[in-house]
Amino acid sequence: MRLLFDRGTVVVADPPPGLDLAEVAGFQWDARVQAYRAPACAYSTVKTRLIRGDIPFSDAVRQPGPQPNAWSPIALRPYQDAALHAWELGGRRGIVVLPTGSGKTHIAVAAMARTRLTTLCLVPTRVLLHQWLQAIRAVYPHAIGCLGDGARELAPITVATFESAYRNMERLGGRFDLLVVDEAHHFGTGLRDEALEMSIADARLGLTATPPRDRVRAAAPLVELIGPLVYELAIADLTGGFLASFDAIALHLDLTEAERSTYEKLMATFRGVHQQFNRLAPMARWQDFVRSAARTCEGRRALAAWRQARKLLALTAAKRDALRSLLERHRDARTLVFTADNEAAYAIAREHLIMPITCDVGRKERDAVLDRFRSGALRALVSARVLNEGLDVPDADLAIIVGGSLGEREHVQRVGRLLRPAPGKRALVYELVARRTSEVGQARRRRAALGP
Amino acid sequence: MVPETLLPYSLRGEIVVPRFLGEHDHPWLRVLLDEYERFVGGPQRELDERLREPLPGASFIGKQRLAVHVLQRIWGGQGRPGMAPQRVRATVFGEAARSPASREAILAAAANHLGVSAAEVETTLFADLPGERLIASPNRALSPGELALRANLALVQSLMFRATAVTIEVCGNARALVRHAKLRGLICAVAARGDTGDAVLELSGPFSLFRRTLLYGRALGALVPLLAWCRRFRLQANCVLREEPVTLRLASGDPIFPAAEPRAYDSKVEERFARDFRRAARDWEIIREPEPVTAGATLLFPDFVLRHRLDGEKHWLLEIVGFWTPEYLARKLALYRRAGLRNLILCIDDERQCADGDLPLGARVLRFRRYVAVDQVLRLLDGSE
Repeated sequence: MRLLFDRGTVVVADPPPGLDLAEVAGFQWDARVQAYRAPACAYSTVKTRLIRGDIPFSDAVRQPGPQPNAWSPIALRPYQDAALHAWELGGRRGIVVLPTGSGKTHIAVAAMARTRLTTLCLVPTRVLLHQWLQAIRAVYPHAIGCLGDGARELAPITVATFESAYRNMERLGGRFDLLVVDEAHHFGTGLRDEALEMSIADARLGLTATPPRDRVRAAAPLVELIGPLVYELAIADLTGGFLASFDAIALHLDLTEAERSTYEKLMATFRGVHQQFNRLAPMARWQDFVRSAARTCEGRRALAAWRQARKLLALTAAKRDALRSLLERHRDARTLVFTADNEAAYAIAREHLIMPITCDVGRKERDAVLDRFRSGALRALVSARVLNEGLDVPDADLAIIVGGSLGEREHVQRVGRLLRPAPGKRALVYELVARRTSEVGQARRRRAALGP
Repeated sequence: MVPETLLPYSLRGEIVVPRFLGEHDHPWLRVLLDEYERFVGGPQRELDERLREPLPGASFIGKQRLAVHVLQRIWGGQGRPGMAPQRVRATVFGEAARSPASREAILAAAANHLGVSAAEVETTLFADLPGERLIASPNRALSPGELALRANLALVQSLMFRATAVTIEVCGNARALVRHAKLRGLICAVAARGDTGDAVLELSGPFSLFRRTLLYGRALGALVPLLAWCRRFRLQANCVLREEPVTLRLASGDPIFPAAEPRAYDSKVEERFARDFRRAARDWEIIREPEPVTAGATLLFPDFVLRHRLDGEKHWLLEIVGFWTPEYLARKLALYRRAGLRNLILCIDDERQCADGDLPLGARVLRFRRYVAVDQVLRLLDGSE
């Protein structure tokens, strides 16, 4: 009897007659091809069970290929070393939660070096793809594979975007023994989880700055896919030492009379439908509401009103004024401005002549811009979302949050941008909040997410 | 792929009914095509603004959005001529960081540096954003009828993109479907329907065994334009829309833009073999893609029949196999044996072996690299090897 890798699954060839593999957990009978089949991620469990059950088999699942070359020595900070140790104690499976700026990539690189396993790193975006390649290159002076952003090269150490991994795991799944998952909170929702399920890698390391909000509901699938939470530190645990300290100042700003009356009108249209929905389904999530509202004329009007209200709040007259005076007062600070949407980002870019970083700005230009920001040739950047996750922006000391109601997770990421330490540094975060609007509650929840 | 929010369809219970564009839509499609031409040379956002409202006669805004989406994909846009916006940005924002001067003064300084007017600096600053791109003049004429069919194809493929498994009852051209499915890594169970060559295809992927997955939607959707080349078909797809399971049904006659005629050959290898064989073996007749062979409940699709012109008893089936494992070959041989066919030659690509192991015994297996050598095949036919 032989185990083979088949497009993200493990199949059994030539089972001895009379053997019922359905009793070996993990296997299912596949009537389409008349063979037993298991998802690739069950590979090591299946193998263990076969051995325990004294069932002889030969194993051709692991696709043959070269092993990684030698790594240069890697120095870790104490908490990074502790995180890595915790992961190893957890049987090389698990998720490490550390704030942005604390060097999560570094821990992953050290894990690859220490285990010397063939490794596939999964990252959410193309920007991060290049950042990871760079980080690995620094301590691994050999060919590194790259899947995504037009590249398709495989090597014992390979970095892939989530999208490429999802599309290619049928071919990749049998080749790697360690999976590193950056921004691991993206998984566990059923969407694209196949990318993790179709790999035979037994060792798995997840990294994130923000563990799932709803820990109980979201955690179970993540534990299945990557492993349990093995190490966690919040921003508050590291500020002042490994991260810079910061002050957060919320500026509560009034709407103009005209803005107020438009806002109230829009929200009345929205609330009429939303409250009725909430009465009927008090436990429903926002997505459920959107889905239900999209079915009726009235519901669609409510959604449109809600979107317009958000757009109105994204850049109010008072926010424009506050932004101008803040930028003037902190002329010498290295500043990041965050907005709720691209439209506001461009408006601010035009008005205050600040370089925008959006999804429409190409990678080359973005890299050049970040270099100039680093060197001080640019003093400020404005962005809606691109700067939120992982992009390696060095050493800013002022953030102005003009808008963005996407939630606590995003906020933690944004604040993290500021916290790369420097001697005597004290970072400053301004939040511009429109008074007596939905933004007030959002700002409160955001603050709570940063830890005690 | 069209975003889910742009797909015009309605739900009747669990059945998803695509809102196909038909003849009654041609008048407003004509208007759409004319409007598009009218905006050629202008920025995308002006056209977008115009098309936000329904065109006269477009009863359903969803159909219009779909048609616009498809049209943009066919015709595309172009950047603006003149100075590169990236250079303007680098200059303006660099100047702003250097100088505490007013906005106007900074723009003037940048303009001076670039050798253009300040107004031009402002218009060029973000001229490469998607909304600022210029509407390109269409590279070929498109009729309302063709646009409707193409929009329908995009609609159906986008629905199929969310498919987890598909069943197709098909009459004629099953081979092209099976070939395509296998090429795309799908598992295709083929059941014969009577002895007319009709078949029922059950399509899904290896991982579909474990749970409902959208992993194979792309491959399944790519089958749709091939269906037009079947004499008759009925398709049923299990899809997931807005996280709910639904069923999509299609049948011959649905107004979907067809693919180019499926290629007669799997690959260059087959094409070359057919040509070489015809030239070298005058005594033999080579028939490509013969009728499928029934083996139990399944159908087999040999690539070639080789028949001696003088001796009808000499009759061989030949199949050229791309990616393979020993198990795959063994299973294939078992199927042929079950069908009572022993005179089979399998040509296997030496470079595409997917797993080590011994070849099945009792098979006439010919290994090849790059192309199948006709003289080796002939030696097998003559029984000298």
